[in-house]
Amino acid sequence: MSITMTHNAKSAAEDRTQPLGNFKLAAGVTLAVLALMVFWRIFQQVYAWSAGLDSTEPAFDAAWMTLLKVELSVIPLLWVVTWAYLWFTRDRNLGALKPREELRRYFNLVLFNFVYAFCVWFATSFFAEQDASWHQVVVRDTSFTPSHIVLFYGTMPLYVLFGVGSFLYAMTRLPKFATQISIPFVLAVVGPFLILPNLGYNEWGHAFFLMEEVFSYPLHWGFVVMGWSVLALGGLLIQIAMHMLEVIGRLSQEDQASVATQR
Amino acid sequence: MQGGTSVRLYGLEWPKESARISRVFDLLVAAILFLAVSGAFHLHYMLTAGDWDMWIDWKDRQWWVTLTPIMAITFPAALQYVFWTKFRLPIAATFAVVCLLFGQWINRYFGFHLWSYFPMSEVIPALLIPGALVLDIALLLTGNFLFTAMSGAFAFALLFYPTNWFWLAPYRLPVEVMGQLVSVGDYISYAFTRTALPEYIRLIERGTLRTFGGHSAIIASFFSAFVSILMYLAWWHIGMLLARVVTTPNTLKNFMGLTDKDEPAEAAQKAIDGTSLQGRSVAAE
Repeated sequence: MSITMTHNAKSAAEDRTQPLGNFKLAAGVTLAVLALMVFWRIFQQVYAWSAGLDSTEPAFDAAWMTLLKVELSVIPLLWVVTWAYLWFTRDRNLGALKPREELRRYFNLVLFNFVYAFCVWFATSFFAEQDASWHQVVVRDTSFTPSHIVLFYGTMPLYVLFGVGSFLYAMTRLPKFATQISIPFVLAVVGPFLILPNLGYNEWGHAFFLMEEVFSYPLHWGFVVMGWSVLALGGLLIQIAMHMLEVIGRLSQEDQASVATQR
Repeated sequence: MQGGTSVRLYGLEWPKESARISRVFDLLVAAILFLAVSGAFHLHYMLTAGDWDMWIDWKDRQWWVTLTPIMAITFPAALQYVFWTKFRLPIAATFAVVCLLFGQWINRYFGFHLWSYFPMSEVIPALLIPGALVLDIALLLTGNFLFTAMSGAFAFALLFYPTNWFWLAPYRLPVEVMGQLVSVGDYISYAFTRTALPEYIRLIERGTLRTFGGHSAIIASFFSAFVSILMYLAWWHIGMLLARVVTTPNTLKNFMGLTDKDEPAEAAQKAIDGTSLQGRSVAAE
């Protein structure tokens, strides 16, 4: 996403020629995420039936546990790199931020949220219900099933990357999010993140007292409650819209003052 | 804002640049909402009423008819609060249900059919769009959440079974299999075995003398309609809660290297976020 820029040298006319946000980067990241999702789905198609039926088989270890180890090492590394980058390149002079750059950063934040929502959809819709279908054809003999390795240890850590990343972006680059923590934003990021800790309860339950797979059993309701918090994105978007209106108002005043000075 | 010529958008004259900003923002928000609602609603629905929706032989006259509208009216109600009170858009319920069905159909094909090899005839999701349309129309006509709950939510549940009957009827035809009388839906599911779903936990209506009268679906629909009213009221308020713009001061501000001069003026902050309450800021309803 966009990084801190120096604005003093830029005229208002030059600023207007800049794109509203970093759409190219957002499109690139979205396509990369889509490519990863397609890779995971093809991996499942190829290796679930041939190497994913019995967790004690060497083939299971070679295909599925290798994928798990790659996910559990690469995605946390992406967390550290991305979040550290956003933190260490933070804008330390937000008081001097010009309205047009602030507006651009709001668009970058919305684009960040789009990528987050894109990942959330794959996790909570596409790969989540697919998990129900897999557990109806193969009895689970491990917590690390072919569906879980992609759903819980692939797609979910990936959306945590973008959820926390977007929160850090707002907190480090937008004055109103830096000085006041947005509760809807916290809910929209922390709620889906808590699905991961809830996974511990899910696996414990399936391991010790519930081998059947009725999806609607109370064992799964923790996931449901965490999923509700995604709705807080609505509150966040309303907040962003209100902030942007205020920025546009300031921008308008600035432009009028600029015109008056030229006359 | 300078933008040269003006353009007409949403029935208003806008400076060109403002119109561009508005259009781009609207498109991004629409995409985010579609993905987020589809994901969250689908997760909620699959883990509360999903089993009845996933399998043709679970679509009975008692549990499926009772549970589905109760669990499916949740997100439409929450979104109706936001769409109607903030934007005067009477499309929230239909939008929510279309988002849900999008996720379900994608999954039933790519997951259940292409990966786990269940026939599509076994895993067709329930149809909810007609009930959602009526729910939206009820809000449009009454403009009031209480009347919408009493009429729209009631109709949402009552319409569920008739809505689905036309495509479900063929699966209710009786067939004789190895000397046993079963429905076509049952037979499909016996043929494509579910290893983690043994028959003893199939939660469907049990045949009793009471159900021979054929009233089960009607009774279940009315009970579901009653509970749907309550669910609608609860979820309208959950939507209200989650759409509130609440903020709290960032105690890490100094640690981040920010100073007081970076803070927006208090007056401006109040104008943006609403009234300040003991350090917190809550947007006016």
